[in-house]
Amino acid sequence: MAKRRFRWLLAGSAVAVLAVTAALAATAYGGSKANNKIVVDGTTGTVVNIDPANEYDYDSFTVDLPIFQGLYGFPSGAKLAPVLATGCSHTKNLKTWTCHLRHGVKFSNGDSMTSADVKYSFDRVQAIKGDQGIWTLLTYLKSTTVSGPYTVVFHLTAPDSVWPYILSTNAGFVVDKNTFPADKILANTDTAHMIGTGPYALTKFTAGQQVVLTPNTHYWGAKPKNGGVIIDYYSKSSTMKLDLQQGHIDMAFQTFTPTEISSLKKTKGVKVHSAPGVNIRYLVFNVTRPPFNNINVRRAIAYLMPRQAIAGRVWHHTVKPLYSMVPAGLPGHTNAYKTLYGAKPNLAKAKAAMKAAKVKKPFPITLWYTPSHYGDVSADEYIEIQRALNASKLFKVTLKSAEWAQYSSALGKVYGAFQLGWFPDYPDADDYTVSFYQPKSFYNNGYANGKMNKLIAKERSSTGTKRIKYLHAMQALAAKTLPTIPYWQGDMIAAGRSNVSGIPSTLDATYYMRFWLISKS
Amino acid sequence: MIRSRLVTGTSLRTYLITRIALVVPMVFILLTLVFLLMRVAPGNPIEAALGGHVPPSVIKQIEHRQGLDKPLIVQYGDYLWGILRGNFGTTITDNRPLSQIITQNGAATLELTFFAMLVAIAVGVVVGLVAGRFRDTSLDVFGRLFGIVIYAMPVFFIGLLAQLTFGVWLGWLPISDQASPLTQALLQTHTNVYFIDAIWDRNWAALWDVTRHLILPAMTLGLVTAGVFIRLIRINVIRTLRDDYIEAARARGIVERRVVYNHAFKNALVPVITVIGLNFALLLGGAVLTEETFNWPGIGHELVLYLGNRDYTAVQGIIVVFALVVVAVSLLVDFLNAFVDPRIRY
Repeated sequence: MAKRRFRWLLAGSAVAVLAVTAALAATAYGGSKANNKIVVDGTTGTVVNIDPANEYDYDSFTVDLPIFQGLYGFPSGAKLAPVLATGCSHTKNLKTWTCHLRHGVKFSNGDSMTSADVKYSFDRVQAIKGDQGIWTLLTYLKSTTVSGPYTVVFHLTAPDSVWPYILSTNAGFVVDKNTFPADKILANTDTAHMIGTGPYALTKFTAGQQVVLTPNTHYWGAKPKNGGVIIDYYSKSSTMKLDLQQGHIDMAFQTFTPTEISSLKKTKGVKVHSAPGVNIRYLVFNVTRPPFNNINVRRAIAYLMPRQAIAGRVWHHTVKPLYSMVPAGLPGHTNAYKTLYGAKPNLAKAKAAMKAAKVKKPFPITLWYTPSHYGDVSADEYIEIQRALNASKLFKVTLKSAEWAQYSSALGKVYGAFQLGWFPDYPDADDYTVSFYQPKSFYNNGYANGKMNKLIAKERSSTGTKRIKYLHAMQALAAKTLPTIPYWQGDMIAAGRSNVSGIPSTLDATYYMRFWLISKS
Repeated sequence: MIRSRLVTGTSLRTYLITRIALVVPMVFILLTLVFLLMRVAPGNPIEAALGGHVPPSVIKQIEHRQGLDKPLIVQYGDYLWGILRGNFGTTITDNRPLSQIITQNGAATLELTFFAMLVAIAVGVVVGLVAGRFRDTSLDVFGRLFGIVIYAMPVFFIGLLAQLTFGVWLGWLPISDQASPLTQALLQTHTNVYFIDAIWDRNWAALWDVTRHLILPAMTLGLVTAGVFIRLIRINVIRTLRDDYIEAARARGIVERRVVYNHAFKNALVPVITVIGLNFALLLGGAVLTEETFNWPGIGHELVLYLGNRDYTAVQGIIVVFALVVVAVSLLVDFLNAFVDPRIRY
């Protein structure tokens, strides 16, 4: 009897201990007012380097953006504006740019920012030449000099009309010269030295797991609308979606599948926000090797590209058909491919192009794509293209795929026609034209066009409407010569719990996640 | 008798030395295989990281700086020399010291596998003993069926079912991560094993949170391993219950309960030591999938990431760590067996 009573006593005590622990847990992590204002964001991205001198990928940039700032940037909307500078002027030949700095700017550790820090930051990127390749954006920079504590002069080797845009990239982010080493990359975990002028300071970094950002008490601009940000990293978007639905995270940005987005739209307590973005997908041709060295074969494919079917059936309208390498919404965009090949597939014109190509029908071709780097949907996307081309009876398409590590080393060196995606270094039409149409471009497709080279040189050495005119001409020429066929432009999509506000204010063509505009009630 | 003990002692020492000596060629072969397999696979880490946006000339320049254009034999020599000095290097794609991955992510895997092993032993022993003791009853049928089903089911499938049932439908438990974001952000890490860190800081709220996060992944991984234990223990119990000494105990009039609990069960559990060791490798393999399913930041989770990026240094380092752990556990099990069973000698 006594033994039984003892057992009951033991069980009762265990239950009591559990209840007390649960209550403690609830008060410790749910009760603090400051903690309630912290926004927890989920992402499937991966941080490579936080140090701006070696950061050249979107996921790392999303972490850098709240910590560091450049002389120029996109503080609100897709319009380039001075940030740490009050403005920059240039010589007539666009080879010397003089920038005047904002006074009273402090780093998150309280150090004042001067022209010496700016020069140090640029010299550092060029000296380190980090493995991620961000220094390639400063190829035209010959030297940086200072003139007093608040004036910096950039001396370029060639005219560069987009220099202010380069200043907005992380190649131009200003770091504290007292904390960053001059000749090596700072480790992501070295939060004590990862000092910038942005609205937040990095307080914790756990690789593959979490980034913790706390408001910068020395920030010169408007205070963030939240009490801090925690970015939580996921290996699978399905888990992230469940966590958002369960309320374990407040918002998620990058990257859900189209079906997950459709499911989230139906979830009570979750809002899906979207705005036109600048992420694009396109098909590249090696224009020097058969069969795609035949311009008429490329034209026939351009006439048959099923943009509407891809956007609707595959992407559930989370992307829009694209008719230029420059996405709609950026200054200088034209619908060049629509003008030449029409808005929708045109079988009659495709047949005419194939007749001119003088090849047997159905003509066997191979299209390559990579199955996971751009998301699982890539396979569906290419099945849709295959279906459209085969249905025309003009082509017999074979699809092949390779994982990114193998795919990225092959591209135009091995493949005749292949899928690629592009996220810009800076949101300007220049980045969507020069990168693809200059000789010896990164994808090795053999495209070299004298007329195009002249247009690039002219665009780089002119400003204003004249520059826009050259950008239009480049897009028209590209549509005619077809080194690539663009087919969609992605929306910028973020989902948040209904108590999270401010997400729509950061969704624009820059694709910047400005965490400081987001609040939680 | 004294002579016999001396002989046994000498042969035991020889056995231990031989086992340790065999580890060296084993690890060497493994290092070489991993090195070669990574190089045979097409693509390299620099192209995987930069192939989408910088010109080929820049890629070549960076490959040269990283020494990836050196002859394979030179790279192999550098690699072995580094390992010999205990320097596993720094990952190519994100400049992370391997030592950090081992201590940080390795600790998360250790936490998961330890609790999974507890679950496996608890479930395996209880169900196995009951099934063996009550042979051919409905309890036995249930135990056998349970053992086969959980062993046959892929670990990620059990994980998904657990996530849906306990996380989504019932809403009882969190479905991802080692702790909730806020706990993770605020918890001071001493050992990187959050369970210990929370106790270290006497942070009971964090301990509760960490425990809740542990339940589903540890149960998932543990159950798969329990399937093996159930079948093994059941067979052992059945065999032991037929042994002569059990018959003798019964003949001496010892109560059946004492015969079963004090004699049969204890002896039936001895072979489990070996199986625990053998299953450790299985557990680590399962941990990779469990970590992916539950977004658990373990070393397997990192391995998948670095494999995709062809990060030679990271993959080589992580696999060597995996191998060394398996070798160490196997060695320990062999030693234990050799001590327990004098018949085991080379």
